[in-house]
Amino acid sequence: MRSPSLEAQKGVKPMIKQLFTILICMTAFGSHAFAQDSADHSQHETMQHDAHEHDDDAHEHDDHDHDTDHDDHTDHSAHDHSEHDMDHSAHDHSKHEMDHSDHDHSGMTHGDGHMMDAPGDHSMLHGEDDAHAHHHGDHHHHHDGHLMDHEGTHIMGQNFDKLPSSCTSISEEIEITVRGGTKYAKKFPGVTFAFDQQEWRVKPCSRITWHFINEDNIRHQFMMHGLPRYLYNLGMFHLENTGPRKVSGTMIVPAADETYLVHCDISQHMENGMKAQLVVGNGGEDIPSIPGLTPYVINDKYEAEDLPQVPDTDNGKEKDSLTKQVTDFFNDNVPIAGISFVGLLFGLVCAPLFVRMIALRKRKPEEDTV
Amino acid sequence: MPTRCYLMAILAACSIALPLNAQASLKLPETVKVNPAALNSEPICDPKISPSWRKAQVIEGVKIRESKVCDPDNPALIAAAVKGTNNISMATLMETDLSPDTIIKTDDIDGDGDPDRITIKLEVIELNGRTPDFEGLIPTFDIAPGIQPGAWVFAPKTSGMSTENFESIRANSLLRLPSPVIRVEVGDIVQIVLENTHYLPHTIHLHGVDHPFTHADGHVAGGDGVPQTSEMFLMPGESRVYEFQPRQTGTMLYHCHVQTHTHLAMGLVGMIIIEENRPNNWLQTLNVGGGHVRYPSVAIQEEFDEEFDLHFHAMDKELHEIIQKYNDPRLIARDMNRLYDITDSTEDYFILNGMSFPYTLRESIIFAEPDQKIKLRVANSASEMLALHTHGHKATITHYDGVEHNPAAQITRDVYALAPAQRLDLTLNTTNDGLHSYGEGIWLFHDHREKGITTDGMNPGGNVSAIVYKKYLNEIGLPKGMGVDVSKYFTQEFHARKLPIWQDLDESGSLGAPGVRSGIDPETQETVTNLLIGFVFGLLIYLIIAKKQQVRGAMTGALTKLRGSKGSKAND
Repeated sequence: MRSPSLEAQKGVKPMIKQLFTILICMTAFGSHAFAQDSADHSQHETMQHDAHEHDDDAHEHDDHDHDTDHDDHTDHSAHDHSEHDMDHSAHDHSKHEMDHSDHDHSGMTHGDGHMMDAPGDHSMLHGEDDAHAHHHGDHHHHHDGHLMDHEGTHIMGQNFDKLPSSCTSISEEIEITVRGGTKYAKKFPGVTFAFDQQEWRVKPCSRITWHFINEDNIRHQFMMHGLPRYLYNLGMFHLENTGPRKVSGTMIVPAADETYLVHCDISQHMENGMKAQLVVGNGGEDIPSIPGLTPYVINDKYEAEDLPQVPDTDNGKEKDSLTKQVTDFFNDNVPIAGISFVGLLFGLVCAPLFVRMIALRKRKPEEDTV
Repeated sequence: MPTRCYLMAILAACSIALPLNAQASLKLPETVKVNPAALNSEPICDPKISPSWRKAQVIEGVKIRESKVCDPDNPALIAAAVKGTNNISMATLMETDLSPDTIIKTDDIDGDGDPDRITIKLEVIELNGRTPDFEGLIPTFDIAPGIQPGAWVFAPKTSGMSTENFESIRANSLLRLPSPVIRVEVGDIVQIVLENTHYLPHTIHLHGVDHPFTHADGHVAGGDGVPQTSEMFLMPGESRVYEFQPRQTGTMLYHCHVQTHTHLAMGLVGMIIIEENRPNNWLQTLNVGGGHVRYPSVAIQEEFDEEFDLHFHAMDKELHEIIQKYNDPRLIARDMNRLYDITDSTEDYFILNGMSFPYTLRESIIFAEPDQKIKLRVANSASEMLALHTHGHKATITHYDGVEHNPAAQITRDVYALAPAQRLDLTLNTTNDGLHSYGEGIWLFHDHREKGITTDGMNPGGNVSAIVYKKYLNEIGLPKGMGVDVSKYFTQEFHARKLPIWQDLDESGSLGAPGVRSGIDPETQETVTNLLIGFVFGLLIYLIIAKKQQVRGAMTGALTKLRGSKGSKAND
C-alpha cells in the first residue's frame, strides 16, 4: 500500500480524478484490513519442501530473534517478500534441525508404524535423534490406523497406500515438517499458540508425510478434518505429541480442489492461533480465523486506553515549559494522528472536486435561465 | 364532506371502545399453562453414562466399589487412577481418555507393597470459553441445564480432543469442574507436573500440604507457587514440577496463585488429600469430579463404610463472563486484572463438586444405610463463608484444615461453618438415635445462606444435594421422592426463568402464570386515547392549512367585525 494518494495528487486527468477518490477510499480501508492479514501467502509456498534441506553449519543452539522480526509485518508493502523469506530460512536453521540431518525419513514411511519416539530424556528435544535410533516400537494398535505409544504420541488416520477413489496414481511424494509452539505465535499480536506456517499447498493426489515437531513443554496436536470418511476414520488425520517431541505420519489427499482445516484441538489452542489450512490443488473455501491469513468471523472490540507514558522529551532533553504547554494543548485538543494525514491528503484531492461540483451546480441554474 | 365523516366515525369508535374496555377489566386474566412438550427437557441421568458403571467390579485387579448414584465415575478411570496410567493395559487406558503419562506410579521405596513415587500431570483447561469462529462457547460444560459460566480448571492430562468428538462442542468428560481431587500417601515422593496449556500464566500453590518453599532453581522447579516470592509465572507452553514429600495427613487444597482473586474463583482450585502411610495402600490418585470415593485408602476402609469428597465453590457471573467476551488474551487480562473489581462482586452460582442442583442429584448425593459411619471431606473454595447444613443428621467435626481436633472436644452439630479455603472432616453417623440421625429418608444437605440454594437467584438450585438412604433410592440411583416431580428442573427453561414452577400445584393451576387481560389494559388505553386526541388535532391543523383561504376569510371577517366594533367604540 504505497500511498497511492500521492500519485493521485500529481497530474492525473480530472476525469479520472473521481475514480481515484473512490480508489483512495478503498485503499484506506484496504490497508486497515491488510493490517490484519499481514502474512503473505507466498512464503508458505516457497517454504514447503525445503524443511529437510538444512545447512549443517547452523547447529549452534542459539535463540535467534526471528520472532521479533515478524512484529512489524504490517508495515511491509505487499511487494516485499524478501524479508519474509529470510526469516523463514532462519527458522530452518533453528536448533531443532538436527533431527533431520542424519535421519532418513523416507525409510519411515514404510509400513510398520514403528516411528514413534522411544523413551529417553524428553525434557529436551535434542535427545530425539538417539531416541529415534532405538526404534523402540512399543506402540499399540487400536481401531483403524490408530497408533498410540506409551507416552501418548498419537498417529490416527494414517494411510500409506489406499488411493482415494478420485485418484488414479500418487501425483507426488512430499515431506512436510510442521513445528508448533508458543514461539511461532510471537509474530501475531494477541495470539498464544501457532504452527510455524499457516498454509501448505500440495498437488491433488499427493502422498504427504508430515513430521510434526512440538516445541512446547505441553501437549499439541496436528489434526486435519474433512478427509473422505471411507479412508479416514471420522474424516480425520491426527498427530499428537504429549510433550516436546516429533511424530510423523503419512496420508494421501484426494484429487478434488479442497482446503482442509488443520488445528490443535486442546481447549483454546485453535481459538488462540493454532490453526492452519492445507490447500490441495486450487483449494476450496478458505478456513476462517487463521492468524495472519484469513479474517476472524467474530472480532474483538478494541478501545484505546489512557495508559501512562514517558513524558515527551526533545532530543533527550526536557522541552521548555512553553513548548510543552503548546504541544500538550494540541495533544489534548487537536486530534492529530497518522490517520489525520491520510485525511488531509484526501481532503486536498477532494477540495477541487467539491469546488467544481459547486461551480457546476451554480452554473446550471444560470444556464437554465439563459 | 368526507373529512368530517371520518372524524365523526373515529370519535364514535372511541366513545364506544372506552366503556367496552372498562367492562372487560372486571374479570382477571386466565392462568397460562406451559405445555411440558414445549420445554427443552433433559434426561435425569446422563444418557452417555452406562448404567453398568454403577456396579461393583474388578478392573486391572482393582476392586472398585459399587456406586449408587445415577452418574457414576467411569470404572476404567478409577482403575487407571489406582494403578497409574503406566501400569494398566492400553485397552483400559483407551477407555479413560487419559494420556499414558498422566499418572505414573513407580518405586516401592519403603517396601510396603505400594508405589511411593507418584507423578501426576495436570493441564489447564478452559471451559465455556469463546471462539472467533461462531457465536457460542466451546467446550461446553453445564453446571445446571443451560448454565455455562466460563471457567478454568486443572484437568488430568488427556489424550485427543477436548470435546466429546468432532461433531460435539460438549467437553470431554475429564474436562470439568471442579479441579480433580488428588490423593497421595504420607511419605510418597510426589511430583505434580503442571503443563500450562492455557493462554495465561498460572502456578500451583499447595495449600496446607507440607511442601518446600522453593527448590534450588525457582525458575524450573515449583515451590510455594507464589510468583512474588518463590518462583516465576508459568507461561503458556511451559511446564513445571512441584515436588514434595508430605509428612502429615489431612484434607488440603491446591490452587493457582497467579492473580488468586480471580484465578481461584475461575475454578483453578481442587482438593488434595494426604492419606496415612499403610501397607499395600494403593490410592485412587484422582477422584475426577469428586463425590463418592470408589477405592478408599486402607485407613479409611478400616474405620468407615463410605467416603465422599465434597468440594463447595461459588462464582460471580460477571467474572466468569469475561472470558466469553473476548478472544484476545490481552483483553481478558485487562478486564480480569484491572477492570474487574472483586470488592464489588456478588456470587451468583453455587456449586458442589462442579455442579448445581439438579445435577447434584446425578452424582453428588451421599447414599447411606442405617448404622453406618461415613467420612465426609468438605472444602469451601468460595470467597464467602459456607454454612453447610444437614437435614436429619448431626455430624461430628473431627478435623479442621486437616488437623485432628482433640477427640474429647469434638463438636457434633448440624450447621458446619467453613471459612473460605477451609476444610472440615465430618463423621456422619447414621444410627437412628434422634441425635446423629432421625432415621431413614431423603435428607437434604445444603448451604444455609439462602442464596446458596439458588442458581443466580433461581430456587431450587445452587449447592443443594441430599443424604439418601438406600430404601429411598430407585433403580437408576435417584431419590424416590414423595414430593414434586424433579424433571421440570432438568430443563433449560426453568433456569432461564421461563417456567412457572407452581403451575401444577393444583388442578386449577391457582398459582400458575397469569395471562394478559382481554381487551386493552389501562396504560394502552391511555396511550391510544392520547394518540387519538393528537390525531384529531393533526386533522384540524391540516384542515386549517388546506382551507387557508376560507379560514383567512373567516378570520379577517371576524377581525374586521371586532375592529369595526372597537373602532366604532374608539370613535365614539
